[in-house]
Amino acid sequence: MNLPRSSSLLLSLTTAVALGLGGCATTSPEVSSGPVKYGDAKAVETVTNEFGSTDLQTIAESMARSMLQSRPVTQSRERPLVTIAEVKNKTSEYIDTRAITDSIRAQLLKSGAVRFAVDINAMQNQTDELIRQNQTGMYKKSKSKKIGQMEGADFRVEGNISSIVKRTSDIKDVYYKFSLMLVNVESGVIEWADEKEIRKTSTR
Amino acid sequence: MKIAARLFALLGLLFALGLPTLSAHADSMASKLEQLGEMTYLKVTDLRVIKRNGLLNIQAEVTNISSSNERLFYRFKWLDDAGFSIWDEEPWKPVVIYGKQKHLITVVAPTPQATDFRLVLQSPNNTTTSGGSSSTTTWPTE
Repeated sequence: MNLPRSSSLLLSLTTAVALGLGGCATTSPEVSSGPVKYGDAKAVETVTNEFGSTDLQTIAESMARSMLQSRPVTQSRERPLVTIAEVKNKTSEYIDTRAITDSIRAQLLKSGAVRFAVDINAMQNQTDELIRQNQTGMYKKSKSKKIGQMEGADFRVEGNISSIVKRTSDIKDVYYKFSLMLVNVESGVIEWADEKEIRKTSTR
Repeated sequence: MKIAARLFALLGLLFALGLPTLSAHADSMASKLEQLGEMTYLKVTDLRVIKRNGLLNIQAEVTNISSSNERLFYRFKWLDDAGFSIWDEEPWKPVVIYGKQKHLITVVAPTPQATDFRLVLQSPNNTTTSGGSSSTTTWPTE
């Protein structure tokens, strides 16, 4: 077969593309190029010594479970109303403490034992919505939510996370301590407190 | 002679009463455990369950029969009356168990709806899979 040079080139190119596409086609519902893969979000992560996902998850879990057994939660007649105050990061590294308190709040809410009041960070959205419904004149009076009906929290949750880091030429040891407490807003009495300690050591 | 006969009868009674309950206890314990592979050095030697304030409280005793330290990963599955899972997957929790140590794992159910549980265990250093393949790829660690 005598094909012109340009058309034989085109033919070989289309064959290569077709083969290439055929090679990629698999039965798994995945589009992938390169070494990216999904892993277990709950796996024990020991990539580095710094604060990691396992620390966040285990702290949140143990604090939520401990608070579930506290007297204000188990003994009160109706589900206590709680709000989240600040968890201070006193470690030398950056830790998003809000991620920890969000997890604790989610677990406690899912357990059904406590209710949460809007905290300071979400207050702006709450007041914006109430003002929009009541003061813009756009809403039916009978259908808008009234101002002055919000419920104050019975308890607030606050705490801090601190760390001790020790290093030699071949060992780095990190110790984290997360402490949390439940404070009665009206009386100022600390009704419950607990701590979670984590030690991580890495050798070079 | 009379005392010996009495002792024998008592022993027989104890055997008759005790053995079935012991084996039942072992059965019920095994049904609550899920091991990813077989742990050669770590054994669950005791499992207690009690309900306090409407929440399941569980205590498992894990014994390290070797004299060297062993690592263990564990987590719980929470089930309701119908056997459905009622909680998200828990994070795997790492523990170091010293040589010959009896380690207590104590845990409280996350919600009163949890009426049953499974304790999932994995020990990376001594798991042997039936296929004879290396177990290192099945660690719940990254």
